[in-house]
Amino acid sequence: MKHSRLPLLTTILVLVFFYLPIVILIVNSFNAARFGGTWGGFSLKWYAKLFAAREIWHAFRNTMIIAVSATALATVIGTCAAFALHRYHGKLQKLHYTLIYTPLVVPEILMGMSLLLFFVALHMQLGLFTIFLAHVTFCISYVTMVVLARLQDFDFAIVEAAMDLGANWWTTLWRVLVPLLAPGIAAGALLAFTLSVDDFVISFFVAGPGSTTLPIRIYSMIKFGATPLINALSALLLVATFLIVWLTQHLLHKEKA
Amino acid sequence: MTAFRITATLAALAALLTLSGCQKAKPVLHVFNWADYLKPELVQRFERENNCTVVIDTFDSNESMYNKLKAGATGYDVIFPSSYFVDMMVKQKMLLPLDHAQLTNLVHLDPAYMRFATDPAMQFSVPYMMSSTGIAYRKDRVKDFTPSWRMFDRADLKGRTTLMNDYRETIGAALKFLGYSVNTTNAAELAKARTVIIRWKKLIAKFENEQYKNGIAAGEFLLVHGYNGDLLQVANENTNVVFELPAEGAMVALDNMAILKTAQNVALAHKFINFIHDPKVAAENIEFVLFLCPNKDAYQYLSAATRTNPVIFPPAAVLDKCESQRDLGPATALYLKLWDEIKAAE
Repeated sequence: MKHSRLPLLTTILVLVFFYLPIVILIVNSFNAARFGGTWGGFSLKWYAKLFAAREIWHAFRNTMIIAVSATALATVIGTCAAFALHRYHGKLQKLHYTLIYTPLVVPEILMGMSLLLFFVALHMQLGLFTIFLAHVTFCISYVTMVVLARLQDFDFAIVEAAMDLGANWWTTLWRVLVPLLAPGIAAGALLAFTLSVDDFVISFFVAGPGSTTLPIRIYSMIKFGATPLINALSALLLVATFLIVWLTQHLLHKEKA
Repeated sequence: MTAFRITATLAALAALLTLSGCQKAKPVLHVFNWADYLKPELVQRFERENNCTVVIDTFDSNESMYNKLKAGATGYDVIFPSSYFVDMMVKQKMLLPLDHAQLTNLVHLDPAYMRFATDPAMQFSVPYMMSSTGIAYRKDRVKDFTPSWRMFDRADLKGRTTLMNDYRETIGAALKFLGYSVNTTNAAELAKARTVIIRWKKLIAKFENEQYKNGIAAGEFLLVHGYNGDLLQVANENTNVVFELPAEGAMVALDNMAILKTAQNVALAHKFINFIHDPKVAAENIEFVLFLCPNKDAYQYLSAATRTNPVIFPPAAVLDKCESQRDLGPATALYLKLWDEIKAAE
C-alpha cells in the first residue's frame, strides 16, 4: 500500500498559509518602494529611518516596560488564583471563577472605556501606570485559565508525599509544586506577554500623555505615516523572537542531556 | 532565590515606572496629533528655542481622540482635530478660547482658504493643513482621461476602479457630480445621488479606504478615489500615477490646532501654535508633510516644484467649486440611511 500524499500536502499548505504573510512582510521591509506590491529594488533605507525614528523607539520602550511588568505581576496573581480555584470549591470560589472569566468575554472596547472612566473617577493621572494596571487586569484571566488547565491533571499525591517525607510547606512549594507547574506558568506568562504587547483598544483609552505604546503608534501611522518602517520593525522583532525561542530550546535541551 | 529574583525585577520595574514619570525639570508641552503630521526637526527647534520638552502622542481617528477626551482623559495641551470636530468640541465646551495677543503670526494666514474653516474668526481653532479628495489614475493605462467624476461611468475601466468606503466622501462625490452641495439635506438631491452611486457601484472593484494606494501603485486598480496627500506619496514613487481634482469640485478638509480647556501649559501652547505659523517654519513643514498649510507668507519659501504642484495648490477655478464637510446635525441619519441602501443594492 502506498502512503497517501495528502497529509504532507496539507502540512505544506498550512505552513504556507501561516508563514507566507510573514515572509512577504520581511521581503517588503527591504523594498525601496513605499507601497508594497511593486518592487523598487533592494534597500536598507527603512531600517536606517527606523533607527532614527525617536518616537517609535519611545513607544517601543513603553510597550516593553508595560509588557514585562504586567506579565510579572499577572503571572504571580494568576497562578495564585488558579491554585485557589483548584483547591477550594465554595460559593465564594464560584464567584471568583466568574470574576476571572468575565474579562475573557467582555468586549475590549467596553473594558477600555470602563477602565478609563474608573481612572478618571479616581483622579488618577493617566500614563504608563494606568496602562500597566489595565494590562494586569486582563492578563490575570489568561494566566489563570492556562495554569488551571495544567492543574487539572496534576497529581496532588506528590505534594502529600513530599510533606510525608518531611518537607515543610515552603520547601514543597518551591521544590515540588512550582517546578512541576513551571511549563503551565511559563505558557501563561508568554500568553500574557504577547497579549500585552499586542493590545491596542484598551491601551488607547487608558494611555496618558507621553505613554503612547507601539500598537497605538502603528495604528495612528496608517493615515500619514510611513508604514514600511513597521515592516522593518516587525522583521527585527521576528528575528529577536525566533532567537529567544531557539536559545530557550537549546538551553532546555542541554539541561536534559 | 526565585522569590528574590521576582521581587528584584518588580522593584526595578517600579523604579523605571516612576523615573519615566518625573523628568519635569523643564516645562512640558503635550501635543495630541496624527502620526507623522509634523516635521520632527521643527519640534526639536521649538524645544531648543523655548527650553522645554514637547511630548507628542498620536491618535488614529478624530472619533477615538474625541471619545477619549470626552470620557475625561486629561494632560493634553494642543490637539489637531478636523474642522467638523472643532464644531462639536466647541459646542461641548471642550476648547479654550484663543488669546490672539499671543498669536502674532495669525496675520500670515491665507484668507483664500478661510472659507473652508468652520471657525473662520479663529476663536477656538487655527487652520493647520488643508487636504482634498480627488481622483488618481494611471496615465499609462487609462486613455482619454478627463478630470471629472464622470470617469466612474467608464465601462472600459470596469472592475479596475475604487470609490472610498466613507459615506460623506462618496455621497459628496456624487452630489458634486450632480452639481449640488456636499452638505445638502434636500431629500430629492440625495435620492439622485443614490441612483448615481448605485450605477457606479456596478462598475467599481470595491469601496476601499486603505489599499487603493498599493493597488494603484501595483496597477491592480487604474483609477481610484482618495486623499491628495496619500496619492501624492504614490505619485512621487511612480510617475505613471497622476492625481487630479475633478472640475465639478470636490471635498476639501481642514485640520486645525486647538487648545483644550484642561490644558496645563496654556502659554506654551499658544507659543507652539504661533511657532507653527511662522512663515519659514510653515514652509518647511509643507515640504515635509506635502499638504497645504494656509499661510500666505510661507509660499515664497517653498521650492518651485512644491509651489507649482497642483495637487498641493489646487487651481483657483476648481477650488471655487470645492466645499468642506459641515456637521450635518440630525440630517446625518439621512446620509447613513442612504449609505445603507447603497451598500445593500445589487
